[in-house]
Amino acid sequence: MGYTLIYTQVLEFFPYLIRGAWISLQISVLAFFGGLFFGLIFATIRTFGNRISNKLVIWYVTFFTNTPQLVQVYFLFFALPEFGILLSPFVAVLIGMTLNAAAYLCEIQRAGFLSIRQNELDAAKTLNFSLTQQVKYVIFPHIMKVLFPPLSNHYIIMTLGTSMAAIFGVEELTGRAFNINSETFRSVEIFSLTALVYIVITFMATFLLAIVGRYFFKAKIRIIQ
Amino acid sequence: MERLIEEIPSFFTIWNIIFLAKAMGVTFLLTAIGCLVGFSMGCLIAVFRKTKTIFLLPLRIFIILYTEIFRRIPFLVSLLLMFYIFQIFKISDSLFVIAVITVCLIATAYIGEIIRSGIESINQTQWDAASAMNFTYFQILKEVIFPQAWKVILPPAFGFFIMFIKDTALASQIGVMELTFAAKVLNNKGFSPLLSFGSVLILYFILSYPLDRFGKHMEKKLASNRN
Repeated sequence: MGYTLIYTQVLEFFPYLIRGAWISLQISVLAFFGGLFFGLIFATIRTFGNRISNKLVIWYVTFFTNTPQLVQVYFLFFALPEFGILLSPFVAVLIGMTLNAAAYLCEIQRAGFLSIRQNELDAAKTLNFSLTQQVKYVIFPHIMKVLFPPLSNHYIIMTLGTSMAAIFGVEELTGRAFNINSETFRSVEIFSLTALVYIVITFMATFLLAIVGRYFFKAKIRIIQ
Repeated sequence: MERLIEEIPSFFTIWNIIFLAKAMGVTFLLTAIGCLVGFSMGCLIAVFRKTKTIFLLPLRIFIILYTEIFRRIPFLVSLLLMFYIFQIFKISDSLFVIAVITVCLIATAYIGEIIRSGIESINQTQWDAASAMNFTYFQILKEVIFPQAWKVILPPAFGFFIMFIKDTALASQIGVMELTFAAKVLNNKGFSPLLSFGSVLILYFILSYPLDRFGKHMEKKLASNRN
């Protein structure tokens, strides 16, 4: 065997690695909210749209949920230049993740829409609520309580998914781990450190989301499953 | 566009098709082994986590740590970590073995959680009733809990299998000859990326769409049975 783990060399790069985590965070947050926005549009179309637009959204969702995100981004990154659209790695990853997230979040949000019962809306109407009041007091709190746990869960999955950006040369957490690896050749040390950073980041995210969920939306999320 | 149409006959030669089919087989094998091992090990993990005896406490703590850690490391990072650890200990040279072991480890953590949540969805009264009838722990699980928990476990488990077909794409990064790697090879050979990545996207779709449909079908069937 004859291999000793030496962390001193790798730990010098720790601040560099953490700045990479910040870029990871940016990608995941941007892609998540982009996906949330488009997913909301798609979910609205699915709930209120006509047959043709419904079918289109269904096909969009089945296509994007059944093919790997990695190959989708490969496609965006390598195939679009054939049509004269040149994307930078960061933008390509961001667009790919947003499109992918839109498909998943559309399904999640649609499930949230369906969880509202007609008699709740009827009751609100009976109490002479205006539409904004209905949305504010009946629909939104109810939807958020149902939606918050799966949404936060998907956010964690997306945070892990950002590691894929390293393959395209984005200098986020894993990308910087690649760089440090080729500089120091302390492979096991650097990747175990990266794994630890990911664990800490996702724990922090779960913790924050659990607090937000509990105080704003009365949604219960367990931090340790 | 004209160049693309010219390229199509030279792309879909018999050798390229065999090459892609082999790669598809590797992707399928990777997922199938990972999911089967993950499912059986996940069952075991979930069962041991629900035990209450004091002398199994270290095992329970280990299981909790294991699931929490492996569900919070990106697949790419754990794959690379495993790759380098295998190099140090000189366990195996085969990239496929490394990928399979990583997939199994992660699948165990995820499916263990799914099965545990299925077991927990069963009411405590069922446990009490069964133990009042003097069932042993494993009899309770086998005769009472699992037949009911099945309906809660299967739909997310299918979602997970599909997720794993897609996640094995990352195994191309350590050089396993699966679909994504095949696409990269074809692309490097000089074929248009539109063709190589496009056809691989379609092949992935062909792999996971039947599973998706089957999962949805099961979900509907099981949901109507409940209550």
